[in-house]
Amino acid sequence: MHDVGVVGIVANPSSARDIRRLVADGAFVTTNDKINMVKRVLTGLHSVGVDRAISMTDLGGISAALADLANGPTSRAWPRVDFVDRDLSQSAADTTAAVEAMVAAGVGAIVVLGGDGTNGVVASACGDVPIASISTGTNNAFPRSAEPTVVGIAAGLVATGLLDADEVAARSKTLTVLSGRHRHRALVDVAITTHDTVASGAVWDSSTVREVFLCFAEPDRIGLSSIGAHLRTVRRADPVGLYLRLGTPAVAAVRVPLGPGLMADVDVAEFAEIPLGSTLTVRTPSGVVAVDGERAFRFGPSDAVTVSLAADGPRAIDVERAMELASARGVLTRTVGRPQQHQISHQQ
Amino acid sequence: MNPLNRLDLYKQMVRIRQYESRILQEYHADKKPAWDIGAGLIPGEMHLSAGQEPSAVGVCANLKQGDAITAPHRPHHFALAHGVDMNAMTAEIYGRDTGLCRGKGGHMHLFDPENHFSCSGIIAQGYPVACGQAMAFKRKGTDHVAVAVAGEGAANQGAFHESLNLASLWKLPVIFVIEDNDWAISVPRSHSTANASNADRASGYGMPGVRIENNDVEAVFEAAGVAIDRARAGGGPSLIEIHTLRLWGHFEGDAQAYRGADLDTLDARDPIPLYAATLAEIGDLSMDQVASIAADAAAEVDAAITFATSSPFPTADDALLHVFA
Ligand SMILES: Cc1ncc(C[n+]2csc(CCOP(=O)(O)OP(=O)(O)O)c2C)c(N)n1
Ligand SMILES: [Mg+2]
Repeated sequence: MHDVGVVGIVANPSSARDIRRLVADGAFVTTNDKINMVKRVLTGLHSVGVDRAISMTDLGGISAALADLANGPTSRAWPRVDFVDRDLSQSAADTTAAVEAMVAAGVGAIVVLGGDGTNGVVASACGDVPIASISTGTNNAFPRSAEPTVVGIAAGLVATGLLDADEVAARSKTLTVLSGRHRHRALVDVAITTHDTVASGAVWDSSTVREVFLCFAEPDRIGLSSIGAHLRTVRRADPVGLYLRLGTPAVAAVRVPLGPGLMADVDVAEFAEIPLGSTLTVRTPSGVVAVDGERAFRFGPSDAVTVSLAADGPRAIDVERAMELASARGVLTRTVGRPQQHQISHQQ
Repeated sequence: MNPLNRLDLYKQMVRIRQYESRILQEYHADKKPAWDIGAGLIPGEMHLSAGQEPSAVGVCANLKQGDAITAPHRPHHFALAHGVDMNAMTAEIYGRDTGLCRGKGGHMHLFDPENHFSCSGIIAQGYPVACGQAMAFKRKGTDHVAVAVAGEGAANQGAFHESLNLASLWKLPVIFVIEDNDWAISVPRSHSTANASNADRASGYGMPGVRIENNDVEAVFEAAGVAIDRARAGGGPSLIEIHTLRLWGHFEGDAQAYRGADLDTLDARDPIPLYAATLAEIGDLSMDQVASIAADAAAEVDAAITFATSSPFPTADDALLHVFA
């Protein structure tokens, strides 16, 4: 059970700063941009009756700015903003702990500003609470781009019960990678690369990729999932994922946007659907496992690596669908006097 | 981009740490009275770089002979990683006639024209100098790059901002490196800097900026490699901010009373044992190697200190020599 009208806010202070700004034309999303987005989310939440927001804290300046603004004039159109008060490690553990605290506090939705990585961390702790994601990372497939004000409205409609979460927030698929003590969960893709290092995290060179496992493959996304999307489109709601083996002899060659402003011609040697509930074994003898585009761990010939597809991910609010339902049902429409349609005439 | 050689990165970090550890010892050995920084065999202030090895080693592993570096008041790690002769540098620190500047500069003024290495006690002042060097490289049609290094405190100086602007406008082959060690003397970053990341500032000047967390030498190596290749190819400047760690005081003798609980976790964050553990785990480093690498480094440092202490002082007659241009 959750309180009516409480929403959590997670904004990753370190997204959009990594090496993709050097190896591709990754967007710069500055701390000030992120603060601005959170302000818009808060306004959207307030407009549909959310009376309390719980924000995570960070040392990157976002929560500090928010705390400052919450006492100022703009905050009149905001819910009350509380903060998850805890010691910070400046790592993903901060996000996990903050989300756990939000769930314990009974939030009805969580708004997430970040990339695939941030959403993956939130997903590990949010349980049944629906999440609404705004992309502030670089190479993202999971969060769609939407105006933060509108995301705030959609999350607010779910949190206040004006829209039923079951109608607009389907459960996402996940891929779980297991190898010895390593256990990782992806919301979009697992890639097996021949990198020798996990150093700077990002995967940007398709020639190093040997195998790819995908939760979904939509042709309008960028990143590794776009490789699969041009062979077989797999929607987020479909009961399958996609497996790709890259290289030659190729059964297909695709030209895809692997990153922002980064096109790649990729040879695909084999591709197949992965049924929900099944487990596959990685065939590449050694390399690095990358989870949602970030290199996670190295493995060798003696390490077995398995990847399983399940429908146990977060309930992701589909903002477009939420707003269409809100419109169709007149949730945000107040009838003034007798309803009538006006004919607008254009005059020169 | 140069191939990644993990053992070389590790050796260079150990070499630098051995150097700084010995200078630390020697500096205090005969500083009497302790409050007189002019006393003893090594006169003047001393800013040591222990904990910041990953930034210098990761960046310099991508440079070649003829590339330039301008370092700040905390210069030893960059000097050693860039190939400045350890003997001549040590003699300079000891104020001897065999030093890089014939003993007249001291530890904050190491000038090595052969390796295009310089440093300065005036913070951020290496930034405009690096722009000048880069402009020369560009006009001569070479593919050399200039690396400008400053601390996160220095990144609030006007010279920093003016340099980023000019370098971007003129597409100069400069890599601006910021070592964010959380402190500028006793001032925490949160009290000095409006932006949580200097990568944000880079975008304001129209150049790519990245921030590297975790003091990770391989991540530095990789990002610097891409930025340096980009600059060599005519792509213009970039900025790399490295979140690193000042293991010791701002200067030698700094009691660090301002630093609080930050001091309690230093050992666990020391990047050298952490990297040794990583390399051991992947089978690239054995316990025997750890010992022999440390011993080799210690021997090299011993020899440099012996060279310095057995070198003559400049004479009074030389006082005005090489001082005026
Ligand atoms: C222009 C100038 N102003 C002030 C000083 C005095 N000073 C020396 S070091 C320092 C702090 C530098 O901090 P930071 O840039 O973060 O470098 P760090 O010492 O942490 O390596 C200051 C203010 C100086 N040397 N030059
Ligand atoms: Mg500093």
